[in-house]
Amino acid sequence: MNREALHESLSAVMDNEADELELRRVLAASEDAEMRATWSRYQVARAAMHKELLEPRLDVAGAVFAALDKEPVPARRLGAWPALGRVAVAASVTLAVLVGVRFYNEADATGAQLVERGAIPASVMPQVQEPAVLAGYSLGEVEQPQAGRSAQGASEWHQQRLPSYLRQHAQEAGLSEGPLPYARAASLENR
Amino acid sequence: MRALSIALLLSAALVPPAFAEEAGDWLARLAKADQQQRFHGTFVYERNGSFSTHRVWRQLGADGKMSERLLQLDGAEQEILKVDGRVQCIAGGMADQVEGAAFWPSRVLDPARLQSFYELKMAGHSRIAGRQAVVLLLSPRDQHRYGFELHLDQETALPLKSLLLNEKGLLLERFQFAEFDPSAEFDSSSLLPGDACRPVRARAEPVSVKAGWHAQWLPPGFELSGVVERKGADDAPVVFMTYADGLARFSIFVESLNGSSVEDARHQLGPTVVVSRRVTAPEGDYMITVVGEIPFGTAERVAVSLSADEGVVASP
Repeated sequence: MNREALHESLSAVMDNEADELELRRVLAASEDAEMRATWSRYQVARAAMHKELLEPRLDVAGAVFAALDKEPVPARRLGAWPALGRVAVAASVTLAVLVGVRFYNEADATGAQLVERGAIPASVMPQVQEPAVLAGYSLGEVEQPQAGRSAQGASEWHQQRLPSYLRQHAQEAGLSEGPLPYARAASLENR
Repeated sequence: MRALSIALLLSAALVPPAFAEEAGDWLARLAKADQQQRFHGTFVYERNGSFSTHRVWRQLGADGKMSERLLQLDGAEQEILKVDGRVQCIAGGMADQVEGAAFWPSRVLDPARLQSFYELKMAGHSRIAGRQAVVLLLSPRDQHRYGFELHLDQETALPLKSLLLNEKGLLLERFQFAEFDPSAEFDSSSLLPGDACRPVRARAEPVSVKAGWHAQWLPPGFELSGVVERKGADDAPVVFMTYADGLARFSIFVESLNGSSVEDARHQLGPTVVVSRRVTAPEGDYMITVVGEIPFGTAERVAVSLSADEGVVASP
């Protein structure tokens, strides 16, 4: 089928202006992965136009917390590799929530870590890859992605408190001491 | 062969004290410069998932008080102005929860004390921000804290670069100047805060409360720096205690669960770990949360050891 016609039909369905033929055409193609991706993009674009997704406090934290809670947590981190799986979970949830609407600093940076070159006295230092735990403050504005539903109840208590605990911990030193603790505290606000 | 290895061992055993002494001298210089040295510059801060750039201006006033202004250059305008260690104003997200902050006295670096918990070692020279630097390693003497790699400016002894490394030598966070100028006078208007910088009501004395909780085990060298009680979510009181070994810090939060069923949790954010553990007390369940730049196992052990004062005799 002609893709362009299909996309036009899709658009029409979204705007409640589709006739029966267009509706059938869209329904017939609804199993198509590309088609579903297009649908999802249209929804986001549409939401953005209506400013529905521009609310700055997306519930990313909730999603990430929930996804991480489903992961078995080893007592000790075992270096970079076991952590990568968790990064992947965090990143996928993040993408699911944001769908490209908002640049997401945390997930982006885990994908492209900086490697230092030149004279390094303390041997080679690969970056520890850990999942981004705190992504934002939960207000329940955005529907939870599927991955997050089951563990939601258990992590809600933590979601409400851990961001504040982290800030208080960072600020108590960061505000009265030198540049490093300040930068640590500031980095918690960079989302 | 054996003689050779014994000779090597001996020399290895003999050389470090000299190095440690030199390293201690550098730390002492750093502590002094930190209180007096004027400078301005630009630095980056990087931890897992976050990279930011900042500008700093620092100058000793005519009254002998150090003024310091820090401004984030990318993203949201985070800003702090401090005079004589006291916060004057804050801009950005950091200002949200400052109300009621205790602002415990700032840390003064004590090289002699640090040597009990970190092995100090000189590790050569480097070049940071176009300046000559000496490299200082602070390796933890036990598994309860992380190591630091400090690159101190040869001229002023101020840190141009600071890396936090875990027990496997993996980088947890990086602080590094891109530009550093300790000599040039700068316009004092650089120390004037931006419009967004909201004045902070300075509290005369941090309010100390009796915690009602104590840790039966603390990693060696960590001492309580302060206790406060604040309103948390649901307006419920939260006991907040902070501990430090002179370099590393962790905080303990204790909050009543009020009957809700919450599971334990463990998270890591760059250099900072979070361990939440539920405890049962006579009057109901509490959640103990340890937050700090310390290894997971240590945070876990502190959380496990925390108990309510009643009915339990403190054992150091």
